[in-house]
Amino acid sequence: MEVLYSRQMSADSTRRFEDRNAAQQQFLSLFLRSEREVFRYVAALIPNVADAEDIVQQTAVALWEKFDAYDPNQPFTPWACRFALNKAKQWIERRRRWQALLESGLAEELVQRREELRPELESRLNYLEGCLDKLPGNQRSLVEGYYYRRESIEKLAENSGRTVAATYKTLQRVRQALQVCIENAAKGTAA
Amino acid sequence: MKFSFPSREFDDAVAGVCHNSASDEQVRGLNELLRSDAAARDEYILRLELHSRLASEPDLFALTNENEVAMAASIFPPQARPRGTARKLTWVVALAACVAISAVGWWGLRPMPPAERQGTTSKAVAMLDRAVDAQWNQGGETPRLGAPLEPGWLRLKSGLAQIVFYSGARVVIEGPAELQVISPNEAFCRSGRVTGDIPPQARGFRIRTPQMNVTDVGTVFGLGIRAHRTELHLFKGNAGFELAGDTVKQNLREGSAAVVESPHPLRLIAADRTAFALLFNLQAKSVADESRRCNQWRAASIRLSRDPSLLVRFAFEHETDWSLPNTSSHAATVADGAIVGCQWIEGRWSDKRALDFRNVNDRVRLSVPGEFEALTVAAWVRVQGLDRKLNSLFMSDGFEHGTIHWLIRNDGVLGLTVIGHEANQFQICASKPVLTLDQFGMWLHVAVVLDGRANRAAHYANGAPAGEKALKIKPPFRIGAAELGNWNVSGFPKEDPFMIRNFSGAMDEFCLFSRALNPDEIRALYSTGKPQPDAVALRP
Repeated sequence: MEVLYSRQMSADSTRRFEDRNAAQQQFLSLFLRSEREVFRYVAALIPNVADAEDIVQQTAVALWEKFDAYDPNQPFTPWACRFALNKAKQWIERRRRWQALLESGLAEELVQRREELRPELESRLNYLEGCLDKLPGNQRSLVEGYYYRRESIEKLAENSGRTVAATYKTLQRVRQALQVCIENAAKGTAA
Repeated sequence: MKFSFPSREFDDAVAGVCHNSASDEQVRGLNELLRSDAAARDEYILRLELHSRLASEPDLFALTNENEVAMAASIFPPQARPRGTARKLTWVVALAACVAISAVGWWGLRPMPPAERQGTTSKAVAMLDRAVDAQWNQGGETPRLGAPLEPGWLRLKSGLAQIVFYSGARVVIEGPAELQVISPNEAFCRSGRVTGDIPPQARGFRIRTPQMNVTDVGTVFGLGIRAHRTELHLFKGNAGFELAGDTVKQNLREGSAAVVESPHPLRLIAADRTAFALLFNLQAKSVADESRRCNQWRAASIRLSRDPSLLVRFAFEHETDWSLPNTSSHAATVADGAIVGCQWIEGRWSDKRALDFRNVNDRVRLSVPGEFEALTVAAWVRVQGLDRKLNSLFMSDGFEHGTIHWLIRNDGVLGLTVIGHEANQFQICASKPVLTLDQFGMWLHVAVVLDGRANRAAHYANGAPAGEKALKIKPPFRIGAAELGNWNVSGFPKEDPFMIRNFSGAMDEFCLFSRALNPDEIRALYSTGKPQPDAVALRP
C-alpha cells in the first residue's frame, strides 16, 4: 500500500496540477470571449488582418504568462487590451511603414478616440448584417471570400476574372457601399 | 504630401492601409492628416472598424448559399480558416497543452459584449450549500444555491442558509442575519443567529462578532448576536475567545455559554440548544422543502402534459434503463425515447432522477414526425463541462431540410441552427453568452422558440430572454429522427472533430411544443421547475 502511494502524485502536486488546469480553463474561457474585441482593438492600429491576428496571438501568450496577476474582479477585456497595446507597439517599432503611419502620438490618439466613439460605432455597425444582405450577389461573394473564407486576393481576382488591383478597388467600393447603407439606416432610425 | 479631406486620396490611402498595400507617401500623408483633422480621424476610425468587424464576425455571413456541403456541417465551418489555422493554435500550444478544451479561432464565435463579469471561481472561499425559505436582502445579486462565494457580505432577511467554507467549516445562519465571509477560515457576524460545526481539518476557524473574537472552536457552537449583545454557546468540544478590545484569551467548555452585553461584565450560563433548534433542523427542513418543490413541479407537470401543442415531454421519472416515456397527450404520435448508454443519477431534487450524458456515445434517440410552423424546445440541464465546440442539447440527424440543431457552444452561447429548404442553406441563431464557468454543475433551464409566423428565433436561459434573431428561413420546420445530448451525423465523415458533439452533463426534463410559447409561458416553465424557490435568474 505504501509503495503504491509513493508512486502516486503527492496530494500537493495533484492540487497544483488541478489548479493549473482550472486556471487554464478559466483563462481560455475569458480569452475566447474577448478575443474578437481585442482583435478589433489591435486592428484599429494595424488593420491588416493577418498582422493583427499575429499580434493577438502574441498577446494571448503574454496574457497567459501574466494570468496570475489578473484580478478576476476586474473586467478581462480592458486588461487584455493593455497587453495588446504593448504588443502592437513592439510590433510597430520594427516596421518602418507602420511607424510612419502611427508616429507622433497618432497611435495613442486613435486608441483614445476609438474608445470615445465606441457606443456610436456599435450602434451603426448593428446595421451591418442587414446591409450585407442587400449587396448584389457578386459583391457579397467577394466580401465573403475575402473576410469570411479568407481566400487570397489572387484567387479572388482569378475567380472574378479581374486583376488584383481591380479586385482591391472593388473591395474598397463595396465597403463604401456598406458604409453608405449603414449611414442611411442610422439616419432612418433617428428620423 | 498632405491630403485634403474628404478626398479620393484619403479614400485610397485608407483602403491601402486595410489591404496592406499603402505606399510610404500614403502613410505619411495619412499620419499628417489624421493628427490635424478630427473629422478625418473619426472617419478613419469608422472605416477601420467596419473592416475589422467584417474580418472578425463570421456570423454576419451565417446565411450563405455556398456550394460547399461541409459548410453546412457546422457553425464552425472548418474550411473557413485556410490562412492561419496553424497560427491560431500556436498560443494554445503555449498553454502546455494539457487542457481538455481545444481552442477555436474567433471566426467561429459570435459577437459578444465585452465581458463585464466573467465566471470565475478563483477568489471563492466558500459556497452556499443549502437554503430553506431563504429570502435575501442583498443589493445586486442574490446568492444562488451551489454557487461559490467570494469574500463579502451575506444578508439573509429570513429563512435558513448553510455556508460551507473551503476549510471544511460548516455554518448555518438564520435570518435576519448579516455574515461577512472573509477567508476559507474566517467570518464576521454582525447580527443574527449562527451555528457552526468545525471539523478537525478546519481547526483554527475564526468567527468574530462586534463583541467577541472566537478562535479555536472545536467543534459545535451557536452564536446569537443582536445590538451590543453576543452569546456564544458551546455544544461540543471547547473554544477560545477574546472580548473585543481585549487580548486576554478565555476558554469556554462544552455545555456552557458566554454572554457579553456591553457595558456589563461577561456572564457564564448553561448552553441552550433549544435557542438554536431551528438551525440544527436545517437538514430535515431542507429535505422537506425539496420534496415540496418536487411535488409542486409534479403537479404543474400534469397540467403541462395536457397542452395540446405539447409533442414530446420527458419527465425523466419512472423510466427503465432503455426508454423515456413520452408523457404528453400526443404520446400516440410521438413514440418514447430510446436511451443509448447514459446513466441514471439524482436530478434537481433528491427524489427526482436525471440522465447523465458522459461518454461520447451517450444519447437518447427519438423520432418526431410532422411539419410545423413553429416550435418551442425547453430543457432542464446541468452542464458538467463544454468539452466540444458544439455540445448537443437536441439535434435532428444530419442536415435535413427544415430541421434544427440546438446546442451550447464552448463559449457558453446557446445556438440554434435552422437548416434551410435549399441546398446548403442554413441560419445560425446564437444567444448572448449564458453559461459561465461558475455555473457548471448547477441546474439551468434553457429554451428556444422558433416562430415561423413572426419570423423570429428567441433563446431563453432560466426564464429570461437571452437573445433574439430575425429568422430568414421559412417554415415548415421538421424534427424527424433526432437525438438528445448527441448528434447523428448521418452520412458525414465521423472522424472530423466538428462532427463529435456529445453533451457532457445531465438532463432531467425535456419538452417540445408545436407552437411558439410566449415569454410569460417560458418564464412559467422555469419558475415551476426551478430547484429552489430562492434561485434567481442568471445575470443579465
